[in-house]
Amino acid sequence: MSEARLISLTVNGETRETLVEPRRLLSDVLREDFALTGTHVGCEHGVCGACTVLIDEKPARACLTYAIQMEGHEITTIEAVSDAGLSPLQRALHEEHGLQCGFCTPGIVMTFEAFLRDTPDPGEEEVRDVLSGNLCRCTGYQNIVSAVMKAAAEMREAAGD
Amino acid sequence: MTETSKFHYIGKPLPRKEDRRLVTGHGRYLDDIIVPGALHACFVRSPHAHARILGISAEVAREMTGVVGVFTGTDLARWTNKLRLAPPIEGLHPTEIETMPTDKVRFHGDPVAIVVARDRYIAEDAAECVAVDYDVLPPVTSIDTAFAPDAALVDDSLPSNLVSHQTFSAGDVDARRKEAHAVVEASFYQHRQTHVPMETRGCAVLWDPGREHLTIHIGNQVPHPLRSQLAGRLNLSESQVTVMSPDVGGGFGQKIALYREELAIAALARHLKRPVRWREDRAENLMSASHARENLCRTRASVTENGRILGLELELAEDFGAYCFYPANYMSRVVAMIVTGPYRIQDYAFEMKVALTNKCGNGPMRAPMAITSWVMDGTIDAIARQLDLDPLEVRRINMLRPADLPYRMATGEVLEDITPSETLESAVNAIDYEAFRKRQRALRDQGRYVGLGLCTVVESTTYGSAFYKSAGIPGSGHEAAWVRIEPSGTVNASVGLGGTGQGYETALSQTVAEGLGVDPSEVKILTGNTDVAPYGMGSRGARGGTAGGGALFLCARKARGQVLQIAANKLGLNTSDDMRLLDGQVERLINGEWTATGLTLADVARNAYLDPTSLPEGITPGLDFSLTYDPPPMTYSNSTHACEVEVDVRTGALTILRYLVSEDCGTVINPVVVRGQQQGAIAMGLSGALLEEVIYDETGQNLTATFADYMVATACELPNFEILHHHTPNSRTPAGIKGMAEGGVMGAIGAVTNAVNDALAPFGTVADRQPLSPQYLRSLLRDRGAAARQNEQE
Ligand code: FES
Ligand code: FES
Repeated sequence: MSEARLISLTVNGETRETLVEPRRLLSDVLREDFALTGTHVGCEHGVCGACTVLIDEKPARACLTYAIQMEGHEITTIEAVSDAGLSPLQRALHEEHGLQCGFCTPGIVMTFEAFLRDTPDPGEEEVRDVLSGNLCRCTGYQNIVSAVMKAAAEMREAAGD
Repeated sequence: MTETSKFHYIGKPLPRKEDRRLVTGHGRYLDDIIVPGALHACFVRSPHAHARILGISAEVAREMTGVVGVFTGTDLARWTNKLRLAPPIEGLHPTEIETMPTDKVRFHGDPVAIVVARDRYIAEDAAECVAVDYDVLPPVTSIDTAFAPDAALVDDSLPSNLVSHQTFSAGDVDARRKEAHAVVEASFYQHRQTHVPMETRGCAVLWDPGREHLTIHIGNQVPHPLRSQLAGRLNLSESQVTVMSPDVGGGFGQKIALYREELAIAALARHLKRPVRWREDRAENLMSASHARENLCRTRASVTENGRILGLELELAEDFGAYCFYPANYMSRVVAMIVTGPYRIQDYAFEMKVALTNKCGNGPMRAPMAITSWVMDGTIDAIARQLDLDPLEVRRINMLRPADLPYRMATGEVLEDITPSETLESAVNAIDYEAFRKRQRALRDQGRYVGLGLCTVVESTTYGSAFYKSAGIPGSGHEAAWVRIEPSGTVNASVGLGGTGQGYETALSQTVAEGLGVDPSEVKILTGNTDVAPYGMGSRGARGGTAGGGALFLCARKARGQVLQIAANKLGLNTSDDMRLLDGQVERLINGEWTATGLTLADVARNAYLDPTSLPEGITPGLDFSLTYDPPPMTYSNSTHACEVEVDVRTGALTILRYLVSEDCGTVINPVVVRGQQQGAIAMGLSGALLEEVIYDETGQNLTATFADYMVATACELPNFEILHHHTPNSRTPAGIKGMAEGGVMGAIGAVTNAVNDALAPFGTVADRQPLSPQYLRSLLRDRGAAARQNEQE
């Protein structure tokens, strides 16, 4: 096990320093060192998607990433999404009842915040395809899919205005 | 919907109050709770299915920097009591479980030691350095091997691995068999599964040596029963333990029992006088938390020429795993009690056997009786196949008609206020049964195989104390509630449930709002803290709405009575008849019209708290109410599931083309929440029937310890669900609530398998086990190669 090193990470636009062992996972550093506990850990082996954050605006698994690799990259977590009130996607999840226990929800929000930016007019198939990277044990996915479709429509409308 | 229109707040599709914190990442699940100075625990687990523990050497681990200690079953035996389960149930052997095994391990993943360290990384490193010396014993890995005469004993204190054996008979099944036109046999094997809440188990425990008080943060469905257990096992009184259940990332029955790991962490926090926490990893959750299902049912139906069932015999065997955290007869017994469901069958007998094996112990998983409806409607399909009848007609001829209700089942359970023939007819109408059959024939001619499966469910939802009593299980089915109107007129209320995502803060606020007469936004629901909530039996089965919602509704009504009495007094009236509270406003019925009095709940509250001397005679200060409520022996909801599938006979791949449910769960508190529960339950049923499977090899090694091996359905494997609603209120429960949340699992398992068998009918093969994997379906078809080829040529 090698020595801890002082690294600086840019998280939600803020640069913070922390002392980490090279093997420390990004998910643990976010949750434990920075108290950003909205990033959840559901499997720690890259399947469930609960730990999804954005690295340089692209969705990535925080549980498969070492914090030490993240110097020079921009990390965005769920806590930054609602800076200006609920995002259209968060609002749609609420309105469409797209969450029950909510444990999977931050990972789903992060996945689709990025997706909808790149794909403003997705089809339902495509949404299901992308959503297959996030496990949800409560909802059966149907309402999450309708929430994403609704958010997309709303965002298109807002962009058109 | 007309049934619920007499309500003002019940039945409204309000979006959930809890969502805001959850969608923004501000939920507080167990691992989000900061406990300063907490130590982290990691368990050392057995790599063997069955082995004697010869010795544990932990010197290397203890020496590692950051390690506080390594503890074994022997240490825990000094600080804790064993779990003894010995309910007075005929045919059930009493069992005892140590807090951690001292003598032998009984399954792959059984804990043998705990490392406590400064952080989780160090604890995990050190756990790898604990060396355990084992003498490997022969493993018992199936029901058949468990009952073999020379089988190794899983529990050395029992005479055999048959931990529970019960039989029952009503009417005369032998006579019915003799007079029958035909006797139809069918079998149903449901494989081993596990709950997979997205948040794994875990706990954080603090011991206050000064106050001698233990606080445990733990995601749990039944906070008070858990407190009783914990206190008892630690030799503490119930007033020395506080259970705090935060936001919980799903439970599905896995978060009911007090597990050995949690008890061990609590004992260590007290022993070390330092906070200790544990977060289970996914491998532990899949291997060692709790498993479920793995049961085999065989039915034998004696039938007339047109498919009327004269008598039914059921043989049921369950692989219960290594340890009994619940009475071993518990899950199977419910299956056996209600299997005849929506059908008129008075001559019925069952035999059930429960086996101990070297696998993770079983527990109730969303629909502990999941297999029930598949067994019954699968039997109906078997009758139709054997007698060459239309499966829908066989259902119709056997189904309970409205005039049969209330109906005393052969087991003595009484069904009332259910509508199985209505849900069946509306489901087949919506599907258009005749049109489907035509389409099916046309597609078969093109070499495509589609099938339609029907499954009618009678779901036991809320278990009252009388049910427990008649099943011989000590315990209560009651729930407790309090409602407090604060001096400002705002309302706090609490109940003994433990939510795991059901939206209690919203739906339960609607039941209080209805009982009292205020807007649900004025009501705050507090649950999950045993110092705050009253002692209730918690969340399990589908009791939350009926027992919890019912208790709150009745308690709020009691509060309303007093509020109106005070209001009448303030208005100078000598009776509160013809008065009501609506949206927090006191109204009077004058000439048949509800008329505002200008008085509000806040005015009454001020009177009650700040000017108590002016209260009417006999009314004491404050507005503080509580009560307990015991539901009827059992409430039932019902539904009919209809599922259309296509099987690709070349690959065995299964596609769900359409999924429809017609359901009746009585009065609905919040249709948004109910629909979500129904979708989630169907999804869990399909995921289990199609994909999930806990696999042990013949040496008892668990081969499914990651999500790559234990497959849970993703958004790509599940269809959209169409749901049709009926609302027949229960006549015995407050507001007519019945409950639901598990029937979806029961129906899905049956409907999808029946659909597959309908699709495969031309091949003369029957899927009688799950999961319905492509490999399994191909294997069925391979045996039928000739038939398949012939059919393709035709
Ligand atoms: S926790 Fe990272 S994918 Fe599951
Ligand atoms: S809402 Fe519970 S896991 Fe998705």
